Amino acid sequence: MLPNRSRLSVLVFLLPPLLLYCVAVLFPIVQSMFLSFFSWNGISDMEFVGLANYVRMLTADDIFWRSFFNALGYLAICLVLQLGGALLVASLLTSMRRGRELIKTLYLLPAVISTVAIAFLFVRIYSIEPVGLLNQLLHWIGLGALERPWLSDINTVLTAVSAPEGWRFTGLYMLIIYAALLSVPQELEEAARLDGASRWQLFTKIRFPHIMPVWITTTIMATTYGLRGFDIPYLMTNGGPGQSSELLTTYMYKTAFSSTDFGYASTIAVFIVVECLVAVGLILFLLKRKADA
Amino acid sequence: MKKLFRAAAVAAVTALALTACGGGGSSDPSNVSPTGEIKAREISWLLSRPADGAVINIMKKLADEYAKDHPGFELKLITTPDRPSYIQKLETLAAANKLPELFDTDATPFAQQLAKQGKMVDAEKLLKSLDVYDDYRPSALDYQRFDDGSLNMIPFQFELEFVWYNKALLQKAGVAVPKSLDDIPAMCTALRDAGITPIAIDGQDQWPLERYVAYQPFREAGPDFIQKLKKGEAKFSDPAGQKTVEWLAALGKAKCFQDGFSSQGYSDAQNQFTSGQAAMYNIGTWELPSLATDKLNPEVREDIDFFTLPTTAGSVTAANEFVSPSGIGMAVNSKTYDPLVSDFLKFALKKYPAEYAATGALSPTTNVETALPANATPLYKKALEKANDLGGKQAMPWDTQLDPTTNGRLQQELVLLVQGNITPEQFTSTMDSTIAQNAPKFFK
Repeated sequence: MLPNRSRLSVLVFLLPPLLLYCVAVLFPIVQSMFLSFFSWNGISDMEFVGLANYVRMLTADDIFWRSFFNALGYLAICLVLQLGGALLVASLLTSMRRGRELIKTLYLLPAVISTVAIAFLFVRIYSIEPVGLLNQLLHWIGLGALERPWLSDINTVLTAVSAPEGWRFTGLYMLIIYAALLSVPQELEEAARLDGASRWQLFTKIRFPHIMPVWITTTIMATTYGLRGFDIPYLMTNGGPGQSSELLTTYMYKTAFSSTDFGYASTIAVFIVVECLVAVGLILFLLKRKADA
Repeated sequence: MKKLFRAAAVAAVTALALTACGGGGSSDPSNVSPTGEIKAREISWLLSRPADGAVINIMKKLADEYAKDHPGFELKLITTPDRPSYIQKLETLAAANKLPELFDTDATPFAQQLAKQGKMVDAEKLLKSLDVYDDYRPSALDYQRFDDGSLNMIPFQFELEFVWYNKALLQKAGVAVPKSLDDIPAMCTALRDAGITPIAIDGQDQWPLERYVAYQPFREAGPDFIQKLKKGEAKFSDPAGQKTVEWLAALGKAKCFQDGFSSQGYSDAQNQFTSGQAAMYNIGTWELPSLATDKLNPEVREDIDFFTLPTTAGSVTAANEFVSPSGIGMAVNSKTYDPLVSDFLKFALKKYPAEYAATGALSPTTNVETALPANATPLYKKALEKANDLGGKQAMPWDTQLDPTTNGRLQQELVLLVQGNITPEQFTSTMDSTIAQNAPKFFK
């Protein structure tokens, strides 16, 4: 328990960031909720429509639902690549004796490259005419039958736009998980080894439970980042072909700034906020329950 | 309360766009001759044109000349060449009532709403008051008009759109220049069989493919079809609509466009054509410096030619009627229109045509003659001469005509139709219901 004066100073120092948070995060959310009850194209008079935007979004908008399921697919791919990749690389790093710093730096490199550069880079990698790196590689290894325009094929485009996002942040989560793995007590691992535990058992019974709090944090971070994914899909395909790579975020942006339907775009924005809160709640619930089991 | 709503709404837009917003009023858009003292200040032009293009360079030069006699005057150019980004910027500023003195826009339904609210100066009156109205090509002005015939934008260009083709590649595939639009799918099949990509297209920017949807209805039913379609008075299920849907599906089936075209950009398409990999390329005279001068790849230079939009059997429009846009127009903000803006426009618009024609481009006016660049090929002159023989009707690009939501959906569905991902029936049904749902909001 802090003495009174310390508690007061903590509160005083917490106040400015709290105010900033309210202005930068809570206020726009409340404003978007307010605007979601109106029909407004930016230049005409605002028309109060009650819940009509919500009814339209949930019952009569095929693109909204398509974008929602695409966003879930995008999230799943990003999570597998980011968290799965990060856990794998971090675990392998703990077994390495030399070159750890080099590997860490190489994996972290994509996180500091501009999004626009990454998008353009991957457009080139996926291209078929002129032939890009991926199709060229497939040709060289005798899998020419798999060559395709990855960003124009409605069956591959969602995976193709998700992969750069996953690739980009694997290094960041790898660093966090690697730091957590280093904190696993060596005595515990030694004792388990002496008891005859396999590497898999060592990982599932000792290491992973120990890093569970960090794993929950990284999962929440990766999920919220994935749900608000926007820039790379927008730059690479603009949601296309058709709505094959349309995400809720790109759809919201287009509804606001291409269709000039600010009221309806705010409704989608409110849904994204709710979706993020539900996702975080679910992660906490499921992982805590698993940890308690 | 209404003011509170508006302020709150603008704040919400800010939250969404992270852009600054504000408020303001408007003055009489028909008052084109404001009286009072000319007080020099900085004025801004929000524009969507190539940053090193002729229009910008000339207007900069003219502004500098004007500033010599009016110390303190400056023309600030706020450039966003990427059209989708520009439109978003324009619409956000319009929502915040923060449009600058001059701004670019096509004759879109959104711009028409701005005009109806008196936010744009009456360009016809303005040009007449400056005594330059009669200098303009009627079709250059018509391109800028809204449906009701009103004119609120001033053209700075005049362009003709052709299908450029590679004679050697057509010859290799044993095909001739198409006499009818309906010949093109078979032509594509023959070119593909000869291992040649038939048409190079910029799929990323979406408008080039949208040009194709306009062609059949323009020949089948004339320029009125899109005027009716956008309001829901005509449908894709009508004969003219079905003709274009079936034709586009046939183009897709014949693999007319390069593989993966939907993710390829402007320069990709141009490179494919100018490097001799694609047989055809549909683009306007703004690309003459790349296609009809010695800048063009010497290996294909002698083989490049062009044809104008083919007609069809029973076409109601003539061969000399096709897409001839006068580019994005410039609107004058009525709220900030004052003696200075008026005087500068008077100075600039009188001098602009001669300066523009000297760069080798087609002026929107007829009182100057375009100078052929020293490095032009014979094709350059041939292309320019087409401007002297234009018919009375012009095919409008549909992206300037449809309401924004319908336009966005059409661009998406067109790719799916041409790639064979949806059937013509699905396309027709989706687009007719999209128009029915969205057009009434913009065309009340």
